[in-house]
Formats: sequence, structure tokens, C-alpha cells
Amino acid sequence: MYEVRFHGRGGQGAVMAAQALASAAFQEGNYAVAFPYFGAERRGAPVMAFTRVDKDKIFSKTLIYEPDYIVVLDDKLCGLVDVSDGLKDSGMAIINSAEKPEDIKLGKAVKCATVDATTVALETLGQPITNSAILGAFAKATGLVSIDSVVEGIMDIFGNRIGERLATKNANAAKAAYEVTQVGTCQGGFECEKADKWLPGYDELPLGLATRPMETPEGLVGPGSFVDNKTGSWKTFAPIYDPDKCIMCRMCWFYCPDGAIKEVGEGDAKTLEFHHEYCKGCGICANECPKDAIKMER
Amino acid sequence: MDRHQGGETIAITIKTLPKEELFTSGHTACGGCGSPIVVRAAMKILGENTVTYFPACCLLVFGGTYPHNAFKVPYLHVLFENSAVCAAGIKHALNKQGKEDVNVVAFAGDGGTGDIGFQALSGAAERNEDILYICYDNEAYMNTGIQRSGSTPFGAWTTTTPAGTKIGGKELFKKDLPKIMMAHNVPYVATASVGHPADMIRKIEKAKNMKGFRYLQIFAPCPTGWRMDTSKTVEVAKKAVNSGMWTLFEMEDGVVTLNVKPKMEPVDDYLKMQGRFRHLTDEQIKIIQGWAYKKNEMDLKFVEAFSEDKKE
Repeated sequence: MYEVRFHGRGGQGAVMAAQALASAAFQEGNYAVAFPYFGAERRGAPVMAFTRVDKDKIFSKTLIYEPDYIVVLDDKLCGLVDVSDGLKDSGMAIINSAEKPEDIKLGKAVKCATVDATTVALETLGQPITNSAILGAFAKATGLVSIDSVVEGIMDIFGNRIGERLATKNANAAKAAYEVTQVGTCQGGFECEKADKWLPGYDELPLGLATRPMETPEGLVGPGSFVDNKTGSWKTFAPIYDPDKCIMCRMCWFYCPDGAIKEVGEGDAKTLEFHHEYCKGCGICANECPKDAIKMER
Repeated sequence: MDRHQGGETIAITIKTLPKEELFTSGHTACGGCGSPIVVRAAMKILGENTVTYFPACCLLVFGGTYPHNAFKVPYLHVLFENSAVCAAGIKHALNKQGKEDVNVVAFAGDGGTGDIGFQALSGAAERNEDILYICYDNEAYMNTGIQRSGSTPFGAWTTTTPAGTKIGGKELFKKDLPKIMMAHNVPYVATASVGHPADMIRKIEKAKNMKGFRYLQIFAPCPTGWRMDTSKTVEVAKKAVNSGMWTLFEMEDGVVTLNVKPKMEPVDDYLKMQGRFRHLTDEQIKIIQGWAYKKNEMDLKFVEAFSEDKKE
């Protein structure tokens, strides 16, 4: 039996990747299950999905806490979530990154494969959705499933959801990624930021929390405390602002769903400031700017 | 903030909209979500002296995950189906405490408004409770993973109206909630869209300054559920109004005004932008076009029948 844990962001298709891998393993005569972690995750937020494969029937229904393989669809997650948590020493990490395996830092030093799946996806699909490309890398790095089975798995799962034409494109992304995957060993000892939240019980709840913000050892809580939640790491494309073209119509400021654009300065010196720590890179500002003063760049 | 000079209200525009964010950055909505645009603007206009209420909806989840919260004002949630009565209860409680100047606003999605929350909404409207109810209409239950709602348009793909070889998306039409609310004879009912910010700001401000039950339904596209590029949220909202798929009108004390005359552009452009309509056949597009024409015709007659001149 081997168990795979996928770390992705909502919208990157971690769940479909887990299902396609299960389908690929099934094509080769194995039993396989795939399931997501259920939570309030949205597009861009860290999510998890799991695949469990065995020669015999699978009775285990739990989440995967000690995976043999981890698949990370976005290397920026490595700093936010402890992706190598519980990973077996004999395990392997497959990471979407432009870097070499030797430059990747995880909680422990394990075998590691990297592939620049975002570039592959942009080239083959035109969208930064990396779930199919990373499966090509999984096939290359682990050898547990053949690339042909992965292609069949993608055609099965993706074909049902998005149609045969787009599924073929995704299969091509997997094949392209298969060719450019590098295998090596990553560095260990990296500690990612403590993600523990302060969660008091009802009897520990301080009076007035519903109406006042409060500082705790784990950061700000209460009204307005989401300012501590830096959502800027969600983006693939970032807005580049050209103040010379800007006429200060403030449409981008109004439309920004994340309030990431701020007005600074007085009188004629007024200009806009883009707060990349919150910007999710949706591109509404660039799309709506009447003077093309904003461009989205990777 | 003093906007009253010599007895006349000075209208807020994009340039004079307060800079302070009462709905902060760092919330966890999907990139390109339409509803934070509505909520950011509404909170700027409503100001600090506001209590907000939410049923279960996307906004409840991305606006606050215990113990964190994006709102700098009180933020309450009880159940999915009783937003309007809970907001009314909050208003009554504040009145008893002598805090009669506090704005009480309920933000809800289209499912929590028109389907699950409708009996409470209809009851509160009939009793003319003194609250502002803002429905952000993203045309499906997006929070739980894109299930169809009464507000989902004909032909749209959702996870519960899949597009296959026999059935092509939803087979029923969008519920005309604004008109249902107008039939309650409340002081103010209006529709708005994130694609028409000046109109939206004016309506929220007008609703804020009125007494009694006020209902706003604001068109807020959802790139995730509509299967489209995140940068097109505002563009698609504009196209919805231009093609007659969404009408901007308001009813104030029984007088109905059309705010933006639809250009009645072909619906094709609007539909082609969205992946949820990708499977549509020419026949289905014709049905949607026919629906848009019919809706426009009915709206114009409705506006005519309840115009200022016809008022006794």
C-alpha cells in the first residue's frame, strides 16, 4: 500500500489530481481511493486531498497522516503549511517549483522531485492550473504508475468534468512535465510559521470579544483581525502599476475585492499604492483600468 | 461624517467614499469575488454605527472564521433561514436600549434570501421592520460548492444541474425576487450591480437614510462558480445589464424608476464569457434571448404602470 497527500490551493485542482492518480493506479489493476479534506476552503486557500492505493481491498477510511508521498502543487505553500508533516523517512516529496530539488527546504531531508508545473501549465493549458502537470512528475519520480496510465486517468477524471478536448490538453501537460522533472534530495530542518490558532472554549472567552479586537500570543483576534491574514501568497499574477498613465479615477480602488489598493499623498501628488501582501492577483483592476495603467505580470 | 448641508443630502461618489475600511483586507474570498466589492462599499457608506447580520453564506465564511473577523463592526450569525427576523430582533433590542440611530443590515446570498430565508424575509417585510437587507446575487449556492438556487438562470451548469447529452444545465428560469419584494409594498426596493458603481453607491446611501424595510439585490458575479476568468467579474456584470439579463430599477414609496435603460445587446457575448454556459446549444441561447426580451418588455410595462405620473 502507498499513500499520497496532495497539498494545493483551492482552484488548482488538488482533488481532481488525487482522483486522476487513483484512476491511473486502478487502470493498472490496483484498488484505489481518493478523497478531499473537507473544510471551508476557497479558491486560493491551502487545501489537501488524498489518494490511497493497494493491491488488496482498502478498508481504511481515515485521512492520511503519515504519507509515503507528498505532492505540493504550489511551492509557496511550503512556507505556510508544514507539508512534510508525518512524511515517512523513506518517502518522497514531489514539488511544483522552478528550483532544483537540492534547493528545496522542507521539515526533513527526503528524496525530492521538482518540476516547474506552473510554466508547463501556462504553456499547454494557458492557465496556471497545475494538477495535471504534477501527475506527470509523480509518474516520472516514483515510477509507481506509468505515464500512459496517468494519461488514461486524466482522460477518465478530467474528461468527465471538462470534456475530452480540454482533458487531452491536460494529458499533454502531464506528458510535458514528465520530460522535465528533476529528481534529487531536498534540504531538511525547515520550520514553517506556527499555524496554531488561538481557539478558546466558551468559558475562557473574554467578555467583549464580539465588539473589540484583542491581542493574544497567537496574534490579533476579534473584529478586523483578518488584517493579519496575508492573502498575497495566493496569486500567480501581480498587478504592475504605472503612475504616469494613472488619472486617479479610483475605479481599481473601488473594485478591488481585497482592499489591496490604497490612496496615498495629498493634492496633485496623490497616487495609488498596491499592497501585494493582500492582493490575490484576480486582475479586476487591470481589466477595468480605463487608461491601461495596470498590467498583470507573473 | 456630516453629509447634510442646509437640509440637503450631499450624495457620496467614488471620490468622496470614506477611505477607512470597515471590512478589512485579509478575508479569504476567492480571487475576483464580486461580493466583497459590494460589502466593502456598503460598509464604507453605512459607517461605524452599524450592526451586521449574516445567514450561512460565502460571506459568513470568508468574512470571519473564529476567532478572526474582517468586520470592524458587530457581526452576528444565527441560522440560515431567519436572517430578516434576526436582524429585526437586533433592531428592536437596540431601540429598547435607546440606540435608535444604529443601522442594522443583513447581508445574504441569493439562496439565503430567495429560497431558504424567504419566509423570514417576507414576514419581516410585511411587518415593515426597520432594517436594511442586502442580497448579493451570485446565482447559486456557491458556499457549499455551486448548487443551483432559485436565482440560477436557465441553462446554467451547476453541480446539481449538470450539463450532459440529455439535459443542458438548469431547465427552469431565474426567480424574479426584486419584483416579489416590491409586491410587499415596503418603502424601498432596488436592484444594483457591481458593474454600475455610481448607481450602487447611490442606492445603498438612499436605503441607509430611509426608515422601514429596505431591500437591495446586488448582482455580484462569482468567477469560481460561473467558471470564468477572475478579472472579468465587473465586465460580466456590465454585460448582464447591457444584454437585459439583469435590470437596474428601484421602487420608492410605490413609484418605480428604471435607472439604466437596457441596450438589449445580444445575450451571446454575456453567455460566452462564462464556462457555466459553455455547453449551450443555439436553441437554448434562443430561449435565453427570448427570456431577456420578455423580461425587458415586462419591466418596461411595470415601470410605466408605477411611474410618478400614475401616482394619485
